[in-house]
Amino acid sequence: MKAQPLPNELTEKSNSLWHDAWLRLIRNKAAVMGVIIILVFAFTAIFADKIAPHNPLEINARSSFLPAAWVKESATGKSGTTEFILGTDAIGRDVLSRLIYGARVSMVTGFVPVGIIVVIGTSIGMIAGYHGGRIDNIVMRITDVFYAFPDLLIYIILVATLRDTTVGQMFSGLLLLFIALAFVSWVSVARIVRGSVLSVREQEYIEAARAIGAPTWRIMMRHIFPNVLSELVVIIAFTVPRMIIVEAVLGYLGLGLRPTTNPEAIFISSWGSLMLEGQSAISAQPWLLLAPAICVGLVVLSFTFLGDGLRDALDPRMKNT
Amino acid sequence: MRAKKRCTQLLALLLIISILAVGCAKPTETPETTEPGAGTSETSSPVSVTTDKTLRINLNSGYPDIIDPQKSSFMAEIAHLIMMYQGLTAFDSEGNVIPGAAERWEMNDDATEWTFYIRENLKYSDGSLLNAKRFEYAILRNINPETAGEYGYITDEINGAEAWRYGETDEEIAQGQETVMQSVVALRTDGTVCESYDDPEGLVLKLTFSRPVPYFGSVAALWVTFPVKEEIITEKGEDWWIDAANHIGNGPFYMAEMEPQVRTTFKPNAYYHGEMAKVNLEYSYITESAVVFQAYQNDEFDIISVAAEDLATILNDDVLSEEYLQYAGSCTFGFIFNSSKEPFDDPKVRQAFAMALDREAYSRDVLSGLGIASLTWIPAGLPGSVEDETRWGYDPEAARQALAESSYGSAENLPTIVDTYSDTARNRLRHEWLAAAWKEVLGVDVELNPVEPTTYSALTKDIETAPQLFLLGWCADYPDPQTWISAYWKTGAQAWNMVGYSNAEVDEKIAMADTSLDQDVRIQLYQEAQDLIIADCPAAFMYHTTQAFLVKPWVTGIEPFAMDVLWPGSYEPTSVDIDTSLLPQ
Amino acid sequence: MAKYLIRRALWMIPVILAIALVTFLLMHAAPGGPWDRDPTRKQLDASTLAKLEEQFGLDKPLWRQFTSYIFGDVDEEGNWEWGAIGGNLGPSYRQRGRTVQDILFGINDNTTFWHSKFGYSLRLALLSFTFAIVVGIPSGIISALKQNTWIDYLSAFIANIGVSVPNFVIGIFLIIIVSVWLGWAPVVPRDWGSINVWIMPALVLGFYTTAFTARLMRSSMLEVMRQDYVRTARAKGLHETLVVDRHMLRNALIPVITMLGPSLAGLLTGSFIVETMFGFPGIGREYVTAISNRDYSMIMGTTLVYGVLISVSNLMVDIMYSWVDPRIKLD
Repeated sequence: MKAQPLPNELTEKSNSLWHDAWLRLIRNKAAVMGVIIILVFAFTAIFADKIAPHNPLEINARSSFLPAAWVKESATGKSGTTEFILGTDAIGRDVLSRLIYGARVSMVTGFVPVGIIVVIGTSIGMIAGYHGGRIDNIVMRITDVFYAFPDLLIYIILVATLRDTTVGQMFSGLLLLFIALAFVSWVSVARIVRGSVLSVREQEYIEAARAIGAPTWRIMMRHIFPNVLSELVVIIAFTVPRMIIVEAVLGYLGLGLRPTTNPEAIFISSWGSLMLEGQSAISAQPWLLLAPAICVGLVVLSFTFLGDGLRDALDPRMKNT
Repeated sequence: MRAKKRCTQLLALLLIISILAVGCAKPTETPETTEPGAGTSETSSPVSVTTDKTLRINLNSGYPDIIDPQKSSFMAEIAHLIMMYQGLTAFDSEGNVIPGAAERWEMNDDATEWTFYIRENLKYSDGSLLNAKRFEYAILRNINPETAGEYGYITDEINGAEAWRYGETDEEIAQGQETVMQSVVALRTDGTVCESYDDPEGLVLKLTFSRPVPYFGSVAALWVTFPVKEEIITEKGEDWWIDAANHIGNGPFYMAEMEPQVRTTFKPNAYYHGEMAKVNLEYSYITESAVVFQAYQNDEFDIISVAAEDLATILNDDVLSEEYLQYAGSCTFGFIFNSSKEPFDDPKVRQAFAMALDREAYSRDVLSGLGIASLTWIPAGLPGSVEDETRWGYDPEAARQALAESSYGSAENLPTIVDTYSDTARNRLRHEWLAAAWKEVLGVDVELNPVEPTTYSALTKDIETAPQLFLLGWCADYPDPQTWISAYWKTGAQAWNMVGYSNAEVDEKIAMADTSLDQDVRIQLYQEAQDLIIADCPAAFMYHTTQAFLVKPWVTGIEPFAMDVLWPGSYEPTSVDIDTSLLPQ
Repeated sequence: MAKYLIRRALWMIPVILAIALVTFLLMHAAPGGPWDRDPTRKQLDASTLAKLEEQFGLDKPLWRQFTSYIFGDVDEEGNWEWGAIGGNLGPSYRQRGRTVQDILFGINDNTTFWHSKFGYSLRLALLSFTFAIVVGIPSGIISALKQNTWIDYLSAFIANIGVSVPNFVIGIFLIIIVSVWLGWAPVVPRDWGSINVWIMPALVLGFYTTAFTARLMRSSMLEVMRQDYVRTARAKGLHETLVVDRHMLRNALIPVITMLGPSLAGLLTGSFIVETMFGFPGIGREYVTAISNRDYSMIMGTTLVYGVLISVSNLMVDIMYSWVDPRIKLD
């Protein structure tokens, strides 16, 4: 199928469409707020080494589980110092610095694999849903298989076979993690997209588009994709925090970020691993858990607002509302 | 409208189903919610003696996989078995071997023949007779290769057991089995062979060994000799242990009820030969320490174990710090160097790495105080331990010196060192601390390499794939240095399998110690062996474990013992009582 | 319809077989085996290991192990013993002496199906599932109708907590509030026969699904509200509730149904955290520990159970599509 060049008229129209969308977006306060928060986190992640008050790997003897600076006397009887604003972890490392460095891993693992999952899942879901029939049946039975076999086994095997290869070593092991996550997680996206497409494709305007002989890919991109956009925003918002925690859990299987002793390293700690450490220490040092949880929450909330805003902005029917 | 109607119908239906599912499924016998420390009285028990006091204990190990004396090996499993059964001998809370089901025993001049004299009129918890024939069955079942128990090897010194278990040819195996049958014999008091489980005169058990086993008194106390009834196993099959009613034992308790994964209750066994237990026991299996800690504070448990993360909170609390119980445990942990791999084949490198570790700081900062810093192998307080070891202790200067003197000369010339470990939240902290210490003192960059636990176990099994160093831990099976020295450091034993440790001089000492009849001489020899082992610096010994619990003030009569299994006083449960006057109203 | 059902049911056979084969190959490819003990423990000797392998049939060639697990094999006495297709999920490697079907579905003389581990998990899953529907769908609808009001933001905020905080932590906070401060239920339930102790575990288990349901419902409602036919209906002057009912709900439910179908299977098997926290006697523990223990029969057994649940729930989802939106044809 050969893509036809778009007529001039259409491109011009879409240009002004983008312009309108942009105007609508910046008028949406929640969405703007979301952008700002995400930019702040991105900035923190990029300049973590400049911002962090301490070396995140430095072990301070006799300072384990110091409470946050404003705590006069914690449950453990220790009092906070301004040196460690969010206190210290089990072996006396600064929580704030580990949190700041954690933004790097977690922003990347939050969004990159989700992006891959969404692209794969949406494409497969749209193809299956739009074509229906035999293709749909085969693809959906394959998703049934992917749903059911235990992911954990895949992870274990990937670690055992690939970790010491070049692929496994890339980006401190994060690339392998992304591949693994994408491989097993696209199915639920595919099924939700396919479900929506099944319903959308029966609508009149799709019939009309088909009747005038519009090419399949254009119908999919122009008419079907916008209809699944808002579901995708929700799916992304729910998958991002999951990935951040899964990254930490899979760290325990040796998949993903390798612990390092080198303070010059780019990826040192992650929000997920802080949360897992914090779980058991909830009475002694709650900030070990609360701080990363709040960060994840803020990122997800910002993304939700931005995503909703984008979706509204891109919807031409919203012009008058 | 129809769509909505359908929806509402569907919702209602779902609601009804799930409520019905929960509601109708009330168990036929609903145990009443009990007050703290109090239990319900049971009338349908095999014995009519009851107590209304219940000690509620949480086992942080979780629910056991199998409760079968000859197949069990995990702590959770043993914590159940030692309540319901008793071996020929037993341990008191100081680690002495005391009479159990046997009232006395004797060995011949070279300790190759042991004779146990079973107590007269000994009974099972159902009132049936327990004679020597029952122990004969238990020991044979343990040796039998078909049982394939994890501790099957522990009775290998019995004549013929090795041939039966490890024989190459069918003939050899049959021969071995034949020999074992003649080496484990229940006798009547008049010296004739005891043929029946119902013979009250069958009170003598005679065991013949292929080599001297002066420490067998300790082995005879282990769960592997617990006298399970042959007819129950034959009749109920290999999963007999899942039903509480099948646990007919001779211990201080019998199992009254077992709800898998939720709760197990034990009641005092009126037929127990010793002092009768004063309380019922109730085991729960919550593994989330934060939840357990909340439940304890809410008076839902009487005894819980303490997680390192909660310790500081406990010690800072006026009430909880009074209820905190800590004493020395019976395990040793350290980092063993793989002396068959570079660079740890060089003893100077091993010494340098050992001397770079501050054991006190490790116990304080990494273990939160739940460990006793140590430079020796046998834990303090157990027979064979030494107090004044100083070799390879923390000394940064000497560590750097040793590295400089090694064949590598400096940190830069060392090959890459990868610290592979089985990854859990706790292990991660330990190894991150370790790598930081080596970097700080020696300037060595150790690469951390976490792997999934079972992958890790598989790696360590093969000397080819075994890591360059790993966390080692060993716990006493019985309070005799044999379980520490011979079972670990002898050529062919655990350390040899893992890292190829072998020292002819050590083997010689061990051979003498294992067969010597004089207990003092044996301990002396084991200490000398340990001395030689430490001289080789095969490992950086780090700490001995501690037992740490919270015990409610109304629990009395706890006799702590280093080897306690998951709760304090588990080796002398009959002395535990509840002072009802202290119970909260 | 009947023809469609039969065809889909027949399709389940190759799907389940594929799941079984993939899982079987994966688990044997994973390093380590059922008797690998970590090096701090006494290791099994070679002959005991060989004996165990023989007892569990691991000495046979892989293809034979697979066929005998799935279809069956001749036992030592020459009798045919059915495999998984006959309901025999094999002997557990870790809980020796017990079979997988006995561990998952077994009951004793005085209890019913609902007291098997599977029954417990099913009850909890249904409760969480109901919670997700009864709370999630209405709150999604309300926040869509009241878009960008405080009620919409509040539900976004709560849903956000549900996804950002690990559900272990939600559990701990619930315990502290409900059990420690208010004293409404014990921290560790003593008796699963009374209904109030089910509420906390069901909340912990179902929070994520509920939050997901609410958000998905909201977004697809908003999507549908903007469709031309809804605008037309409104323009025609139809009563608002009628518009919501007839034109919006049905279409908006589709993504929610898609998500909820498999999530019931997920809730049923994913109760591990709840089990470690509340001592709940469900099957979640078996799913998690089977893999790290390399308990081969248990891995196969639990995966087959899950595979059947997934296939059936996805079939139900597809049937429900044509129920809520008759334009979608089953073919």
